[in-house]
Amino acid sequence: MTVDFSLVGKSALVIGASGVLGRAAAVALAEAGANVGVTTTTRSKREEVVANSCANEIWALNRKGFAQAIDAANESDVKGVIQRAVSELGSLDVLVNAPDLPFAKPLTEITPAEWRRAIDVNLTGVYLACRAAAEVMLHPDPVGSGFNLTAAGRGSRIINIVSLLGQRGLANGSAYCAAQAGVLNLTRALALEWARTGVTVNAIGAGWTEGMGIITDEAKAQLERYLPYKRLGRPDEIAGAVVYLASDVAAYLTGQVVWIEGGALSHV
Amino acid sequence: MTDMPILDKFRLDGRVAIVTGAGRGLGRAISLALADAGADLVVTARTKEQIDETAGMVRDKGRKCLAVICDVTDSASVNATVEATIAEYDKIDILVNNAGGATPGFANSLPDITDEIWRIGIDTNLTGAVYCSRAVIPHMLEAGSGKIINLTSGFGLRAGNNNFMYTSAKAGLINFTRSLTMTYAPAIQANLIAPGMFPHDNQAMADWWKGGKFVPMGRLGTDEELAPLAVFLASELTTHMNGQIMVLDGGGLAGGHAPTGLAPLVPLPAEQGTGDMEQER
Repeated sequence: MTVDFSLVGKSALVIGASGVLGRAAAVALAEAGANVGVTTTTRSKREEVVANSCANEIWALNRKGFAQAIDAANESDVKGVIQRAVSELGSLDVLVNAPDLPFAKPLTEITPAEWRRAIDVNLTGVYLACRAAAEVMLHPDPVGSGFNLTAAGRGSRIINIVSLLGQRGLANGSAYCAAQAGVLNLTRALALEWARTGVTVNAIGAGWTEGMGIITDEAKAQLERYLPYKRLGRPDEIAGAVVYLASDVAAYLTGQVVWIEGGALSHV
Repeated sequence: MTDMPILDKFRLDGRVAIVTGAGRGLGRAISLALADAGADLVVTARTKEQIDETAGMVRDKGRKCLAVICDVTDSASVNATVEATIAEYDKIDILVNNAGGATPGFANSLPDITDEIWRIGIDTNLTGAVYCSRAVIPHMLEAGSGKIINLTSGFGLRAGNNNFMYTSAKAGLINFTRSLTMTYAPAIQANLIAPGMFPHDNQAMADWWKGGKFVPMGRLGTDEELAPLAVFLASELTTHMNGQIMVLDGGGLAGGHAPTGLAPLVPLPAEQGTGDMEQER
């Protein structure tokens, strides 16, 4: 047998490559041979700069790619960028959802509008992207009643990036934690829904990682004392799992969360 | 080197791996995958003919391979295997605790589980991995790094009807692995693979599972699909991954019901029957 993790000839889109984890995923996919489009999470100038520099890194590897500023919670933005991926890269084999809008506030101070925004970007954005990707990844039903869930697809992959706050709570993190947990169970449900289509749906659960928006300096110092590795994770430490899950050899793995957290969740 | 630097990091060139239960099925597939990725091997099992055959297949890939008869439930036999490994290669980078499986009285009701039946079940599926880990860890710590990959099961995460030794041992293996990570991080990474329904070339098992029609993906897994996961876990790409259970089961544990795999679609397509696995059997 030959073990081959290569992604040559595949097309990928990373939503939220302006975050450290999304960016690491995009670069990993490109390094493994894929052509990769990337987006921001929101329409901020700062994020656009990061997404553009990520695209530069992808081009430097001699892959096709593009960067686009979107709001991950905006349906037409998301549909548009998925269409762009298909038209510029040729198809959509791998969708990485890494929209990340850090938000922390005591619950009693969260306005309904703030709550909705946190859920919209961090959770609903993932639904929107999966919904739009279905039009490419699943075979259209010839009868016209939706998608033919029994058709064998190209073996597409959806990889949702979450943090360990989808599994553990954090004071003042209620909205963010709820959204992250929502992505985790969306992953499991959609994996079952599409189990016979050739599309796998998995999540990568990142531990406390350098550059995560939600970590303050005080929290970082505390974490470095407490974590089993005595350090935060580096964003590129999710790279291997991204490539593994995206590759053809992971065709039987679906509905799972791969935690990359230096044993933090094993800690009592 | 290629122009795909991350793919080079999946390579295991120059690494030495011990695989227990390597005479057939999954252990053989993992051995061949590790060899394919560049590792030199020590393959162990109780049956000489089978490990000799695996060793021949590893050597055909241009890798070195030592075949050692080993009963993982006998600590003296385990220690001798590790000594033979050090004598041959002077190091151990990777340990795959794959040996295990059904033992006598596997499906006995609790009153019919004798002390002996219980002990053999736990020794085969838990204690063997403890003995092997205990023997290799000093060498890994001396080198400053090491990877341990333990094979658990969906039965380590969910219960089974009249399935006592196997479920207890496989669940115990999960928390044993987590405690290894707490104790030996960051030098050693220890992770688990939980395969779903993999018949391992056994047609009777494939028939018992009805070809996998209850698995969400609608099929059974093959050993060749499991083996690359061991390569990934053994590679330098898992530096920050520790104490994790990689479930590879066609979607079984993502939802659904015991044992591993039944997850009815709603509404249930007619050809899937009632969705009640026990009744279907």
